[in-house]
Amino acid sequence: MIQLNKNYTLPDRLADFIPIKIVSVGGAGLNALDRIVLDGLERADVVAINTDVQSLTSAVAPHKVQLGRSVTRGLGAGGDPELGYEAAVESAEEIRQALADARAIFVCAGLGGGTGSGATPYVAQLAREAGALVIAFVTLPFAFEGRRRNAQAREALARLDEVAHAVICFENDRMGELTPPHAGIHQAFAMADITISQSVRSIVSLIQRPGFIRIGFDDLLSALRPHNGRCLFGYGESDSDNRAHEALTQALKNPLMDRGRMLSDATNVLVQVAGGPGMTLSEVEILMQELCRHVSDQTQILFGAAVDGRLGDKLSVTIISSLAAEEESVSRPREPGISSSGSVTPTVVEQHEPVQAKIEIEAQEIVIEPAPPEEDTPFEEPAMAEAPPAAIPAPSIPKPVISRPPEKSFAANKEKAPAEKSVQAKQEILQFEPVTRGRFEKSEPTIVEGEDLDVPTFLRKNIKVK
Amino acid sequence: MANNNLMVGLEIGTSKICVVVGEGRTDGTLKILGVGQAPSRGVRKGEIVDFETAMKCVHEAVVDAEQKSDVMIRSVYVAVAGSHLQSFNNRGCVMVPEDRDEIDEQDVEDVKINAREVSIPTQNAFLHSLIQHYHVDGQEGVLSPAGMFGQKLEADFHIIHGVRTRIQNTIRCVKELPLDVEDVVFSGLASAQVVLTQHQKDLGALVIDMGGGTTDYVLYADGAVRQSGCLAVGGDHITNDISMGLRIPMARAEKLKIEEGSCILGNCLPGEMILLKDDSGFAGKEIERETLNTVIYLRLREALELLKRRLDEETYLNYVGAGIFITGGCSLLNGIDHLASEIFELPACLARAQSTSGITSAVENPQFATAIGLVKFAQVMHSDRPPRGLGRIFGKLLGGMR
Repeated sequence: MIQLNKNYTLPDRLADFIPIKIVSVGGAGLNALDRIVLDGLERADVVAINTDVQSLTSAVAPHKVQLGRSVTRGLGAGGDPELGYEAAVESAEEIRQALADARAIFVCAGLGGGTGSGATPYVAQLAREAGALVIAFVTLPFAFEGRRRNAQAREALARLDEVAHAVICFENDRMGELTPPHAGIHQAFAMADITISQSVRSIVSLIQRPGFIRIGFDDLLSALRPHNGRCLFGYGESDSDNRAHEALTQALKNPLMDRGRMLSDATNVLVQVAGGPGMTLSEVEILMQELCRHVSDQTQILFGAAVDGRLGDKLSVTIISSLAAEEESVSRPREPGISSSGSVTPTVVEQHEPVQAKIEIEAQEIVIEPAPPEEDTPFEEPAMAEAPPAAIPAPSIPKPVISRPPEKSFAANKEKAPAEKSVQAKQEILQFEPVTRGRFEKSEPTIVEGEDLDVPTFLRKNIKVK
Repeated sequence: MANNNLMVGLEIGTSKICVVVGEGRTDGTLKILGVGQAPSRGVRKGEIVDFETAMKCVHEAVVDAEQKSDVMIRSVYVAVAGSHLQSFNNRGCVMVPEDRDEIDEQDVEDVKINAREVSIPTQNAFLHSLIQHYHVDGQEGVLSPAGMFGQKLEADFHIIHGVRTRIQNTIRCVKELPLDVEDVVFSGLASAQVVLTQHQKDLGALVIDMGGGTTDYVLYADGAVRQSGCLAVGGDHITNDISMGLRIPMARAEKLKIEEGSCILGNCLPGEMILLKDDSGFAGKEIERETLNTVIYLRLREALELLKRRLDEETYLNYVGAGIFITGGCSLLNGIDHLASEIFELPACLARAQSTSGITSAVENPQFATAIGLVKFAQVMHSDRPPRGLGRIFGKLLGGMR
């Protein structure tokens, strides 16, 4: 009987894996995908999509899709998003096939170029039509790449924001700051690839790991809720004596984390702690206590824990959160405008374009007058709902974009359907009983053989002394 | 009297800072001239956490020592502790060139450098590399190879290293006073210098220096250091446990530990109570003696067992012939020697600085073992080194005349 039971549970667990696909679009996306595959990835399929045959052939991804056989004839899109979009439309059927049978699709792309900016939103849309959860990992170009490229990237980002469930946006400029000043340019670009690779891989394993406190899509989405905001992401692992402390320190050192300083403004923080069978509760406690010093009291911590035999002695921490960046939300209202002015070039969609642009402006004027302080909130929603912008003749229902300053986004979350609320109520948040460490509260914990020696022995051994 | 025989040891401990001024005699003995101390603040687990406060405390202790010994302190030997310190044994090897077969001083220097060429984490720095034994062409246990014939010289070293920045913090704290730092010494090693005699080192001995914030240990076998390290558990932890277990303030817990603490279980009357007197004269709380002892016992047992597990990683514990020597502030706890001998299955005794003369009250107190040990360490270093300044010139002159 016992053996039988064992046999039953094993395949069940394996079947539990969610089919995930990682799709790269364009040259930059391909680089990131190569990095992901080379770094090692399990339990996910990878698909490379590009217009440029040359780069496709050199890619390591097993599954490749060439876009626009007749439009670009195997060459790149030449920095023209329209061309990229056309190429994607031409190969729509192939993309659909490649994306089939996945419950979650991660789209990686570097925005700014032709294929990246043009095809990515379309690929994301196809992915969404296939019924998958779509998370986009995109990079914005360096400032030195020019205004035009930046504008293209912003435009593509805005479109992507409407079709994808979540967009994790890496600003190359910000990552460039992290590479040493004398480092070569390839290093700066490699930094971006590495960061994307790390975040994709850790999110995949976050979802796939059969944790005893499981992290689901809902948690992931609520952690990433403020769209187009600054993504805070950190991953760390360690196998030393003091691994809990070190893994967290490493996670907070991540380029996108700013040493945990930004965490204090986040409303939702997702944390997953994973370790080998030797992971102890006290380690998790220490880690969470330390993390709690970085977040504010109002922050909801979505906690997950998993035991993964392959980690061995290692303990890994993944922290994901996002902030609605203020400068971003200020610049947002202009984006639809850019999309209409930027579409001097379009050929196919030209007919709709001017009309819709007018509608947008009208909508804007109407709403601004009664409620000037809430400028961007009411303005955006009608604009987006009525006018799925330029290149996407989307039949899908675009998701309302939530990109507002933090206080407002909180209100938005509340009004945002009771379904989500009930999900949150179900999710149990593990409330750690505060284990006091007395006078060692603020000192570095002494962890030997997985036990926090600062906690009195009689407490740890559960011996009643009174 | 030559001034350079004066040596000062400074230990920045977790509970207190001690400064010991000693004078080395020509016959190799040591005389303690004065001891200064100050309660320590801003130090946790042997490491400085509040720089400014710690510096003030060090200053107090130094001034105290200057007054008591009537000596102006300019340079000190400083002890370092902390869980970041690690150690390992390593063997270095050099081949003597073909054209000669006598090992010279240079070869001995080379093998020392060679033994150090091991990868330690980049943020770490070497603290000590202590010679254990030399091997000449496979002959074991050579103590001084210079002048011997041989082709292959090997040397076993015990290397202690720690996080560079943390060691630098301690040094900076002293330098800002301003005092010169002659050398930094691992505190466990310093204690062992005075706790053990050469004979005990040869027999094999384990020194456990249980202080306020850390427990340092050094294991000698065959006259050389084989294992050493630092566990960041100490008297502070006991006090903390008492404070939390009996729900009394830290200061009260500390006092209770010193006055009544013991780690012997089952030898007090059932229901025997200790009355805690309030400073203001009010009747305080009553505490069962057995409870207090249980809390202390559990903590000490755990710390010692942990230590044993660490030492058991290598086999040297089997070569300990002289037994275990417990020193440091925690060794004053009643019954700790019995507990240690029970856990290690070796004879254990309380030890304090030996082979010194002078202020006996200081020598008697195991709390000063490290600071006195520093002075002793300094003395050994001085005798190795050519005398400085005037002494050196005289020495040279004498050497020239001979």
